Amino acid sequence: MQPLNHVLLHPAIQVGADLNRWRNAGGGVGLIMAASQPAAIIPTLQAADLRGMGGAGFPTWRKWTAAAAMVAETKYVVCNGNEDEPGTFKDRHLLRWTPHQVIEGALIAAIAIKASHVIFYVNPHQADSIAEMRAAVAQWQGSDLLAGLEPIIGQPVKLEVIASSGRYIGGEETAVVSWLNQGFPFPSRKPPFPFEKGVGGQPTLINNTETLANVPHILNNGADWYRALGKGEACGTKLYSLSGDVLNPGLYELPMGTSLRDLVFTYGGGMLDGRAFKAVFTGGPSNTLLTARDLDVALDFDSVRARQSRLGTGAMIVMSEGTSIVRKVADYVEFFATGSCGQCPSCKCGTFQMARLLDRIATGRGTAADVGALDHLCALLPGSGRCALIDGAVTVVKSALQTFPEEYQRPAAAGGAPKANQQT
Amino acid sequence: MRTEPMAAPMAAIPFSVALQTWQTMPGQPMRPSDSPPQTLLERFHPDYAAQATCRLMVGASKGARCHPLLARIIQGNALIGDVDLAALAPVTTDILVIGGGGAGVAAALAAREAGADVILAAKLRVGDSNTVMAEGGIQAAVGDDDSLQRHYDDTLKGGHQAADPALVERLVGQAPAIIRWLIQLGMHFDLADSPTPGARLLRKRAGGTTAARILSYRDFTGLEMMRVLREAVELDRGVTILNRHPAVELLSNDHGHCAGAVLYDLEHATLRIIRARAVILATGGAGRLHLQGFATSNHYGATADGLALAYRIGARVRDMDSFQFHPTGIAWPQHLAGGLISEAVRSLGAKLINGLGERFIDELAPRDLVTAAILRECAEGRGVVRDGQVGVLLDTPGLLAEKPDLLSRQLVSLAHLADRCGIDPRREPLLIRPTLHYQNGGVEIDRHGATAVPGLYCAGEVAGGIHGRNRLMGNALLDILVFGREAGKAAATLAGTPLTGRVGLEHVRDWQRQLTYAGLINGPRSPLLYPAYGNFDLRAHMATARKG
Repeated sequence: MQPLNHVLLHPAIQVGADLNRWRNAGGGVGLIMAASQPAAIIPTLQAADLRGMGGAGFPTWRKWTAAAAMVAETKYVVCNGNEDEPGTFKDRHLLRWTPHQVIEGALIAAIAIKASHVIFYVNPHQADSIAEMRAAVAQWQGSDLLAGLEPIIGQPVKLEVIASSGRYIGGEETAVVSWLNQGFPFPSRKPPFPFEKGVGGQPTLINNTETLANVPHILNNGADWYRALGKGEACGTKLYSLSGDVLNPGLYELPMGTSLRDLVFTYGGGMLDGRAFKAVFTGGPSNTLLTARDLDVALDFDSVRARQSRLGTGAMIVMSEGTSIVRKVADYVEFFATGSCGQCPSCKCGTFQMARLLDRIATGRGTAADVGALDHLCALLPGSGRCALIDGAVTVVKSALQTFPEEYQRPAAAGGAPKANQQT
Repeated sequence: MRTEPMAAPMAAIPFSVALQTWQTMPGQPMRPSDSPPQTLLERFHPDYAAQATCRLMVGASKGARCHPLLARIIQGNALIGDVDLAALAPVTTDILVIGGGGAGVAAALAAREAGADVILAAKLRVGDSNTVMAEGGIQAAVGDDDSLQRHYDDTLKGGHQAADPALVERLVGQAPAIIRWLIQLGMHFDLADSPTPGARLLRKRAGGTTAARILSYRDFTGLEMMRVLREAVELDRGVTILNRHPAVELLSNDHGHCAGAVLYDLEHATLRIIRARAVILATGGAGRLHLQGFATSNHYGATADGLALAYRIGARVRDMDSFQFHPTGIAWPQHLAGGLISEAVRSLGAKLINGLGERFIDELAPRDLVTAAILRECAEGRGVVRDGQVGVLLDTPGLLAEKPDLLSRQLVSLAHLADRCGIDPRREPLLIRPTLHYQNGGVEIDRHGATAVPGLYCAGEVAGGIHGRNRLMGNALLDILVFGREAGKAAATLAGTPLTGRVGLEHVRDWQRQLTYAGLINGPRSPLLYPAYGNFDLRAHMATARKG
């Protein structure tokens, strides 16, 4: 078994909000190196091939380059810690146990794009994480490290922790901007992208928490070191949120590109209580399902995409034989229906209608016409929303329909509501 | 803790010899006590036997003491998994009450009064429970010479100061109101002969108490109580009663709260998913596990189901190694062994006599002491043996000679039981032996019946901490109503709250992980649902039904 927890989850750096302990554990070095050579930051990330860990896998350096190229008095860096989807629990851990790792990454981003405002946008439902971040940010105020950035950026850097709305949709980057501009957490059409017109109408760089947490380590140890951490073509490590019917669920930091088999059977301890492996919903969970055929797929952005799926946030929800796929899909689509902001009629009604059809099928009341209607919706809905929520919902439904068609075709089982059975 | 085996072959005095001695020794001398109560308990009470305790290896009360047989059940694996729930349509309600005895019905009624919709699920039928077998009465400090403080002190002392004072305070404090409520529901109580107009409740003294505090109706108080409870609940249109629906598993939501249960519909041989805002477990005790081979006074349903379900979802338990053995269970004839003779019989004056014609204990000492004393007589060769059954004599002839009309007026159940034994209790003493009667411990609750798991409440014998390590007579009928109503009221505050998110068996997965780590994953499955001799197997039942 490969050693676990190389970088982000290294036991020595799980120190919480105490800045001195963080610096004694080797913290701050990446920031100092970045500050000494600001022009080298983006090329280093490019060489390291750091990707956006929030689900898109978009090259981080390209996002930073675009934001850096904008000319503006005030720019913003936003660390997106809204994490709310089922099965994902990585960012809350980083914010709770290694807040300074995240803060350093965000400050390096501020140097790279010359931003004077850094906002940590944290889900208030994770009370521990937001409290720890507030305590950690307070320790940076007035510190010499922070003051040292002023000459490089050209103005003092303001750090802030802001509670998000706690809604799933509030993690979408245009919704982040809307919330930070005192609006509803609703997505808007792109362009303009946040890097053009974001918080306060100013250029804004929005990165996932895990992405930013990687940055100080890359600056500190170099791009080659980071590339070597991954398996095969993939670079770095990835936080995998493993859950479902495995013996040892939890958060695992493994080389990017670790196989699904290793994650489930080596690190996850195998299936729970002698069950058989059936499928994995990848976080989250708005992607296509992985099945036993995909056990040897390398869990990195490109390999999973080659399988017509997406790595997403690295959440792996493992299902065993005997689990009703329709039930799970119904639950997830219900989550999307509840999470839809309701701006786009197709998304608002489409997710609701799909959830209703799925629930009918999952509870044995479905008909062939219901399955047909689902099929039609899957063809009709994609691309009809401002953001990708409706596309994610359709993806998981379509994938389950294709992968486990027999579960949708099963005739209505014996059931129905229990009747009052008095005086028998 | 003593180590000699409980089931040592016992020398004893033949029944005919003992009978002769009894007839020729009219004074019934009391043998002076030669050992302090604690020594008596440690040497002879079954709870103190070496094989009667182990430590829990998993769960929220890991490390706590528990009876080994009970530990096997509450540390068991689940009966069902996700596969069993596929294609089932959930039914939604505010409050799901599991258990159709006094506590369950009281909870359902209280929840209804607070405006909640209720489903009441019973694995047998509503009323078919230990409540109806309670004979002696119910304690409530309503007498002029009594007080809540005395009731409180007696209860704590009787429980060896091990009870939760907050629960005892709630128990005794609510007692008078509970009696008033029962009278309003139409329950009959025995009334004292009164020279002046206006009837007063007849009060009797229970073992271990300092005042006459037992209120009763004949010697079938529980049956009378259940009669009115059942009428009230069955006439309430807001309560859906599901008879013959044992609960096989609780349901949890994303936050780990209890959010319903999976029931098994025996008639249709299918599982039912009930989504609820709160679940009240009122499943009773564990007598039908026949711990240490004891006969039991308990009803067919007492198989510790609620303990297993609550423990698996994360509730804490306490005093799981403490049981009450009722001193006077039938010892002969064997087919009626364990059947209960009410403490009221001793309360009215009947004496316990050993094979030498002696009394050996104050008959109204707390139950655990009387039990230990009887077992001591049996272990030390002063017991009485009849057709291989060893016990001591309950001197009903002595009592009935003084008060001949008791049998027809107050001890009706005793007359029935003696009749079934083929004994005339006016002429022949009964052979008795302690019987497994009550589980003193159980799920930890607060004064509202809430457990450590949000959304899960417990009431009645399944709950622990109310009686400490020994329960007084009459406090069980009181406890089921007080905490049944408390739980119903508290749970009803969740009525109408939104039911969102996923509900399923996530807690079972967590539980199976714990079992795997502890090496217990291949252990038995629980809950039992029905006693071992019922030969009920859920899988087999489902399979047979499917074949038609």
